[in-house]
Amino acid sequence: MHKLKPRAHFALFVIFGFLLFLVGNRVDELRVYQGASIAVFVIAISSLILLTGYSGQVSLGHGALMAIGAYSATLARNEFQVPIILTFFIAVLAAAFGGALLGAAAARLSGPYLAGTTLALAIGLPSLANQFSILGGEQGLLFDVGWPPLGLGEDFTQYKWFFWIAALAALISTWLLSNILSSRYGRNWRAGRSNEVAAQICGINTGRSKILAFTISAGIAGLAGALLSMTIGTVSPSAFPLALSFALLTGAVLSGVSTLSGVMIGAVILVAIPEIADVVAHRIGSSENITTNLPGFIISALLILTVLFVPNGPVEQHRARAAKKLAKKAEK
Amino acid sequence: MQLLNTILIGITAGSIYSLMAIAFVLVWRSTRVINFAQAGMALLSTYFGYEAVTRIGSFWLALPIAMLGGAIFSALVEVILMRVLVKHSSSGPIAAVAPIIATLGLLGLIRSVIAMIWGGQDLRIPPPVSNNGFTVNGEVLVFSPLKLLILITTFILMALLTILFQRTNLGLSLRASAYAPEIARLSGVRVDLTRTLGWALAGAAGAVAGVFQTVNGNGNFSPDSIEFSLLLVSGFIAAVIGGLDSLLGAVIGGLFLGLVISFVLIYLNGGLFFIAPFVVLLLVLFIRPQGIIGAKAGRRA
Repeated sequence: MHKLKPRAHFALFVIFGFLLFLVGNRVDELRVYQGASIAVFVIAISSLILLTGYSGQVSLGHGALMAIGAYSATLARNEFQVPIILTFFIAVLAAAFGGALLGAAAARLSGPYLAGTTLALAIGLPSLANQFSILGGEQGLLFDVGWPPLGLGEDFTQYKWFFWIAALAALISTWLLSNILSSRYGRNWRAGRSNEVAAQICGINTGRSKILAFTISAGIAGLAGALLSMTIGTVSPSAFPLALSFALLTGAVLSGVSTLSGVMIGAVILVAIPEIADVVAHRIGSSENITTNLPGFIISALLILTVLFVPNGPVEQHRARAAKKLAKKAEK
Repeated sequence: MQLLNTILIGITAGSIYSLMAIAFVLVWRSTRVINFAQAGMALLSTYFGYEAVTRIGSFWLALPIAMLGGAIFSALVEVILMRVLVKHSSSGPIAAVAPIIATLGLLGLIRSVIAMIWGGQDLRIPPPVSNNGFTVNGEVLVFSPLKLLILITTFILMALLTILFQRTNLGLSLRASAYAPEIARLSGVRVDLTRTLGWALAGAAGAVAGVFQTVNGNGNFSPDSIEFSLLLVSGFIAAVIGGLDSLLGAVIGGLFLGLVISFVLIYLNGGLFFIAPFVVLLLVLFIRPQGIIGAKAGRRA
C-alpha cells in the first residue's frame, strides 16, 4: 500500500474538516447533535484501537478512564473557572495520569488478566462518585461549556457549537494519533504485539512501550469523556456504565482494531444503532421490553458476529482480499 | 460479637464467590478462556430457577433444575460459539483478545435477551428457610438458618466435585485433557467432549452461585442486578487469587475475598463495596501474580 506524504496527509484532514463544516451548516439540529456524538465516539474508539490493535492490550475500563477525564474537566471548570479550552487539556492530563498508573499494572499482565482488572475498574470506579461529596453523587455535576461566541451569528445553535468543538477535537486527535502510529512508537507497539521476545531482542523496552501506549490511549479517552459530558451537559456515574466500555469495544472491533482508517465505521454504527433498532421495533410492532433492549441486543450480536467472521475488521478484510488478488495476478 | 458476625458473613459470601471462581477455573482449564459471560449464564440460570420455583413451589427441586439449565446452556455455548471461534480467529492481530471480546459480547447478548423475555423489573425467589439470625445468649446474630444452609450446600457440592475429579475415570480424563490435551487424545480421551463437559460443570456451578447470591441478598433480582456484577468481579478475582488453574485455590480465594470484603465493609466503610475487591486484585497481581496455588509460570497466558 502506498503511503501519503505527511503534508498531503495533513491536507486531507483539512479538506475533510472543511467538508464537515459545509455539511454541519446544511443538516437539521438532530443530525448535528448526532454528528457531535459520532465525533466523540471517533475519539474514544481511536484510543481503543491504539491500545488493542497496536499494542495488543485489551481494556474494558475505557469507560472509567473517560469518567476520569469528564470529572476532572468539570471540577476544573466549576471550582476554578478555567477557560473552556483548558478544561479539555486538563481532562487529557488527568486521564493520562490514571492511565499511566493502570498501565504500570497492565504491563505485567496479559490477555484475560488485564481484561479482568480493567473490568473490575470499570465496575468499581463510578461508585467512587458517591464517596466524595465534591463529585456530586448519583445526580452528578453540571458541565456547561457556555454559549457559542456571539461573533458566529445569531442563529448559531448550541448543538452546532458542540459539534464544532467535538469535530475539531476529533480531527486534531486523529491526526496526531495517525502520526504517532506511523512513527517509531507505533512500530515498537506493533513489534511488541506480534512477538514480544523478538521485539526485546531488537532492543525495544516492551514494558515501557506498553505503559506509554496505555498512557496515550487513556489521555485520548479522557478527552472523549470530557466531550461526552459536554454534549450531555452533566457528568454523573450513570453516564459511564459498563455498557459504555462494551460499546466502545464493539465500535473498535467493527472498525477493525488494527487499522485507524476504519474508525469512522464503528462510530457511525454506534450512533446509528439506536435509530435502526427503533425502526425495526416499529416494523415488527413489538412490546416495550423488546424495544428498549433491542439496541443492546444488536450491539452484542454484531460484536460476536464480527469477532467470529471478520475478526480483523472490514477494512483489513478488504485489504487482505485485494492483496490475495494481486498475488494471483502476479502468478499468472 | 461483631467479629463473629463479620467472619460468618464473610464466609457465607465467600463460599458463593468460591462457586463462581470454580466456574471460571473449570472453563479456564478446559479451553484456556476466561468466560466473562459466566455472570450472564448465572443470571439466566437464576431465571430458570425462578420459573421452577413459581411453578413447582419447592426451592430444593428448583435448584437442580437451574443447575441443569445452566449446564445445558453452557455446553451449547461451547459447542456453538467457542468451537467456531477457535476455528476462525486463531491468527491475526486480534487472536489473543478474540475470546475475551466474544464472551463479553455473549454477556451483553444474554442480558438483553433476558430483559426482552422477562422484562427489566425485579423478580423474587423467596428464601427456602428463614433469613432471621440465630439467637445466642439473648443476642441476635446476623448468621441465619439460610446462611447455614447455603454454606452446607456449597460444601456438599464442592465435595461432590472433588470426588468427581479425584475418584472417577471421568475426572481423570477431565484432568488429563486440561493438562496435556495432545497426550490425552493419544491415550483415547475424547478431548472435545471433555471440554464441553467442563463448560457444562461450570454452568452448573455458576447457576448455584447465581441462585444463592440472590437469596442471600434480599431475594430480588433483575437483568441489571448489581449483585451479578459483583458476582462476576468477585468470582474472577477469587479465581485469580487461587491461581486460575486450581479448584482448591478457587475455594480458598473465594473464602479469602469474602472475608476481606466483609471486614472492609463492616470495619472501614460500607461504600467501598466495589473498590475493595479491585484493590485486593491489584495487590495480588503485584505481590503474588501466580496466585496462592499456581504454577510457577508467569501470567502471560
